[in-house]
Amino acid sequence: MSAVTSPAREVSTGIRARTVNRIVIYGLLALFALFYLMPLFVMLVTSFKTMDEIQNGNMLALPQSPTLEPWFKAWGETCVGLTCAGIKGYFWNSIKMVVPAVLISTLLGALNGYVLTKWRFRGHTLVFGLMLFACFIPFQSVLLPMATILGSLGRFGVTLQNSTGFSFGLGNPTVNLVFVHVVYGLGFTTLFFRNYYEAFPTELIKAAQVDGASFFQIFRRIMLPNSMPIFVVTVIYQFTNIWNDFLFASAYAGTGDAMPMTVALNNVVNTSTGVVEYNVNMAAAMIAALPTLLVYVVAGRYFVRGLMAGAVKG
Amino acid sequence: MAFLEIDGLRKRFGTVEILKGINVELEKGGFLVLVGPSGCGKSTLLNTIAGLETITSGEIRVDGRAINDLHPSKRDIAMVFQSYALYPNMTVAGNISFGMEMRGVPADERQKAIDKVAKVLQIGHLLQRKPSQLSGGQRQRVAMGRALVRDPKLFLFDEPLSNLDAKLRVDMRIEIKRLHATTGTTIVYVTHDQIEAMTLATKIAVMRDGEVQQFGTPAEIYNNPTNIFVADFMGSPAMNLVPATIGGNGNALSVVLQRDGREPISLPMAGAPAGLSAFKDKPIIFGVRPEALTDPEGAERNASNIATADCHIEVIEPAGSDTFAVTNLGGKAVVARLRADAKIQPGTVTPLAFNLTKAVFFDPATEKRIL
Repeated sequence: MSAVTSPAREVSTGIRARTVNRIVIYGLLALFALFYLMPLFVMLVTSFKTMDEIQNGNMLALPQSPTLEPWFKAWGETCVGLTCAGIKGYFWNSIKMVVPAVLISTLLGALNGYVLTKWRFRGHTLVFGLMLFACFIPFQSVLLPMATILGSLGRFGVTLQNSTGFSFGLGNPTVNLVFVHVVYGLGFTTLFFRNYYEAFPTELIKAAQVDGASFFQIFRRIMLPNSMPIFVVTVIYQFTNIWNDFLFASAYAGTGDAMPMTVALNNVVNTSTGVVEYNVNMAAAMIAALPTLLVYVVAGRYFVRGLMAGAVKG
Repeated sequence: MAFLEIDGLRKRFGTVEILKGINVELEKGGFLVLVGPSGCGKSTLLNTIAGLETITSGEIRVDGRAINDLHPSKRDIAMVFQSYALYPNMTVAGNISFGMEMRGVPADERQKAIDKVAKVLQIGHLLQRKPSQLSGGQRQRVAMGRALVRDPKLFLFDEPLSNLDAKLRVDMRIEIKRLHATTGTTIVYVTHDQIEAMTLATKIAVMRDGEVQQFGTPAEIYNNPTNIFVADFMGSPAMNLVPATIGGNGNALSVVLQRDGREPISLPMAGAPAGLSAFKDKPIIFGVRPEALTDPEGAERNASNIATADCHIEVIEPAGSDTFAVTNLGGKAVVARLRADAKIQPGTVTPLAFNLTKAVFFDPATEKRIL
């Protein structure tokens, strides 16, 4: 710009350029948000409509006579394969599988991170590098080997059952899924906690050592109480992943009573007896999505904070 | 037998030797300061005493008992860390009593000990707060409280004042000194600040590159440095170290200092000191502290050997309590310390008095002290 141009004019063009930028940026963001939220909106709206309204009406229209009937039906009556008792049993199946898997993998990840940063041993980087492989391998490639391992564990469970009268849960599909999710979740949970603990002041551990605290006392009294943000991040991440997992669930518990929610939902939608009950299907899908949604709402504000905390160093 | 004895201590990381045979001892109730530039191994030495780092060879004894293979908590020591290392999730009281809790001390005894320490350090009103709600000075006090409550044989301080602002640092320094005087504890203290070392210590170990350069009382270290490194490191402003030659003949020796574009200065040494005559006509390093180089009126009255020479003053720095004058001798800036009201102007030639009884001489080749 030439020196003759008045400063006031420079300022006004600057402001105009900024306004245009803002409009473009927010416009694009709004557009993407719309694309993202549209399916959710359709699902939600459809789940409150009657079948008549769905067959005759507009997909985007709001329900004319909202009804909770599809939700009750999805929860208690709809057919999953050949049994018609709703999805409630499978919902609890998922809870029973997800909660232990999340807690165990998170605690083990914290322990790994603690050892890899504060009790370093020769070759700790190599060990960490190998653990990271769990984050990168495509899970399809481990389906068969893992099936073999689970098979052996199951046979061992039968042996235990025969000799001691108790199988220790080995061979139980829910236990199998917990095991698989813990194994393949460890890579991520270790990564999260290692990066967080990398920036954790080592002098605190030294002080605790001088104070006479043992390895696990330091972990329980010093490390864990100061790990809230990364703990929440890990729990959200693991909960969402394990709850939404379909691959392992269908491969190792795809039939029978231990079937988790995701597989059951698939079977609900695929069950073809006459009319496709879109409203019931949508309600079932919403129910399946609720727990992860709930976890985000309750703990979400820690999520961004925790990710940042881990990202600063390491 | 001394209370704390460190005997031939070596520490090696792979092929790198961090500590190269440290020998230090300290009497009961003494205050040992380990001082040196960063990377000299002083913190590593402290950590080996604490047991937070292993040693390669040598022995550490406290009160006659070898402690180098014991766990940190079994060494009867307490440590104050540079970052204070207060547990963020616990209250002040929780921080102070954590060690006792780990050792299984009953709750009522813990409470008594907390109250006692809180009284000594005047932190009673802070006991229920979390560390994040405390100021820097308060955290420092709590960290000291956590150490005091153990009543250990040995206190270890790792640069405890370096995170405080200048004024608070002076206050806490006095506080630590008072604490040491009243409790009579034995302290090992690491710092890179030579003023802290001089003011606090009963014994100083000046370290460089994993070796103790000199070990002695503050006065010994300050007045009789064994080599150029110690002379240069201790004291602020630093000692003037000027390249010079020894001139004169027979018993009448003199120190000759070259100057740019002027006559060299020749300072006569009364009574030829024996060690110096061997260096006649050879280069040496002449060391004189700023306070031993002053205006003739301000020179020490009863010093036996004072030589006066006219010097060209380049810069003056009034510091309030003193005035520092900078002149150039032997190609180096030399600082003289004058009275605050000394009438001196930059750019003039003024007589300065060299107190040669306080002067020291070093061999430039070995950097060791000659005299």
